[in-house]
Amino acid sequence: MTETTAASSRERQALTVGVGAGGLATADMVLNIGPQHPATHGVLRLQILVDGERIVSAEPIIGYMHRGAEKLFEVRDYRQILVLANRHDWLSAFSNELGVVLGVEQMLGMEVPERAVWARTALAEINRVLSHLMFLGSYPLELGAITPVFHAFREREELQAVMEEVSGGRMHYMFNRVGGLKEDLPAGWMGRVDKAIANVRARMPDLERLIVGNEILEGRTRGVGVLPRERAMAYGVSGPIARASGLDVDLRRDAPYLAYGELFGEKGPGRVVTRTAGDCLARLEVLIEQTHVALDLAEACLDRLVQLPPGPINVKLPKVLKVPEGEIYCATENPLGFNGYYLVSRGEKTPWRLKLRSASFNNVSVLSEMLPGQLIADMVAILGSMFFVVGDVDK
Amino acid sequence: MADGILPGLLKGMATTARSLTRHAHTAEYPDVSPALPSRSRGVIALTEENCTSCMLCARECPDWCIYIDSHKEEVPPSTPGGRARQRNVLDRFAIDFSLCMYCGICIEVCPFDALHWSPEFEYAELDIRDLLHEKDRLGAWMATVPPPVALDPGSAEPAEVAAAAKPARGAGGAGGSASAAARPARVRPARADAPTPAVTPESSTETTEPPAKAPEAPAAPEAPAAASVPETKRLPVIREPSDQTQVLPTTDPREPE
Repeated sequence: MTETTAASSRERQALTVGVGAGGLATADMVLNIGPQHPATHGVLRLQILVDGERIVSAEPIIGYMHRGAEKLFEVRDYRQILVLANRHDWLSAFSNELGVVLGVEQMLGMEVPERAVWARTALAEINRVLSHLMFLGSYPLELGAITPVFHAFREREELQAVMEEVSGGRMHYMFNRVGGLKEDLPAGWMGRVDKAIANVRARMPDLERLIVGNEILEGRTRGVGVLPRERAMAYGVSGPIARASGLDVDLRRDAPYLAYGELFGEKGPGRVVTRTAGDCLARLEVLIEQTHVALDLAEACLDRLVQLPPGPINVKLPKVLKVPEGEIYCATENPLGFNGYYLVSRGEKTPWRLKLRSASFNNVSVLSEMLPGQLIADMVAILGSMFFVVGDVDK
Repeated sequence: MADGILPGLLKGMATTARSLTRHAHTAEYPDVSPALPSRSRGVIALTEENCTSCMLCARECPDWCIYIDSHKEEVPPSTPGGRARQRNVLDRFAIDFSLCMYCGICIEVCPFDALHWSPEFEYAELDIRDLLHEKDRLGAWMATVPPPVALDPGSAEPAEVAAAAKPARGAGGAGGSASAAARPARVRPARADAPTPAVTPESSTETTEPPAKAPEAPAAPEAPAAASVPETKRLPVIREPSDQTQVLPTTDPREPE
């Protein structure tokens, strides 16, 4: 780190003209952004070394929100784990639960009723829209545009209402169970979801008109914080950020789980959104387009759910659920990227080890490569465009 | 719409101007209380009479925020010469809502329906210690518990309905349905103290028969219901795991194999 720091500071010396200290010799200054800072979400701390306005090096310092989730998993049974597992990335609670139950079901060799599979897929996609809308609102907010967040939250409210109706929770749904879902869907719920999706889709252009093509927003994001494809691969970056850098990878298509095999198959509504620019604008564009795809997918799932024959939505479980000895790695495509659980069982009712691979951890770690050479003013734009949740970084 | 001609900034401003003409979406919360769905997880209510102090909820709670104290009391025999019985008396039932994660596992595991979700949420306190609700306060929430919602027409029959629709144990032989004939009724040693359901004469003789006539294949308890609702009621099979030491009981473990 020190070598690159010195090298880049020599390199950047000539570029600092015009920021006030042109001819003066400047000393590097250490600046802490966070853990309590209005420009960061949550408690991510960035220690940056600045030369004038130019960032020389940056180091994300994490762990302020470490809750020891992996250790807590080891002393809880598979239902209790869901309570904790849906909390690390609080914007995609449903997808977080999903990884745990899919892993356990695979270990047990359990077959899940078809209704549960399609209902889970629909709920996971609604959850994806919710998460994306959050960032579509908060990112312009960080760039100084206050209006889009109101539009984004209005749409979120629409979808959260149907999620609350089915699960009882607005964020921590706690609706997955090993073998299916906790309860069946309420009568008339599917119609209300259809309506909510139609409403969100009808009003999405409002939100897009505020963001897409806005000269100020483009000025702040185009060509800023370019993440090359190779670097994204080297750091294990995934999700919309990797796809904005041209990394065409999506577990829903590449390693289908739930009903995604059919949805991403021939003539299915699923498609993987990619961009090649790799800058902040590309990341935002991927998010917007993915929101539309997720709405299509959720609608397709509901159409299918209506046609399915009546049947159970979960499997009757034994009083004490023990997972056979063995290990499994089960990854799902969460709104922010790959979310994997490495489950090692010794045949007990609790896992021996449950390693959590969260998307935001890798996505944030690449910041130390992206920030050097950028101006402090651009740092906020880059940081916001990495779409992370601090709980997902710190676990 | 002249979206193509207007530069981005004007386009955004036009959108904002259009929004001005619409009604605000804001909910006037303290004045207008929100309409919450009946599954909404607001607060946990307790029906004290249903609680047997079995401690299942307290043990299953992921962060141990339920406190139960109870003592045993001797109930004098109801008939002269009878045996005195013991029963649990609940002294304290408290939930610490400053610790509760609102997962609902306690409600799910309660075998006697003593705990229920209520959508009420306005119980914020100035002192964190006041979030510890004792049983009188938990009981007061019962008035706000909504009835459960009707389920989607595509859902399976609720277990209670399926159990109620099921013919009384042993009555299947009298009905003479094909599946009941193929799978004879389960033989269980008759218990003297168990309340006998309404049984037909044939079935009563069947149940009191010696276990020598035990069926070869164990009949699942859902067998009569499965016969009446074919295909849809059948539970998916849990495949046997490769490790033979970890066989999951797919049926009631008390069933004769």
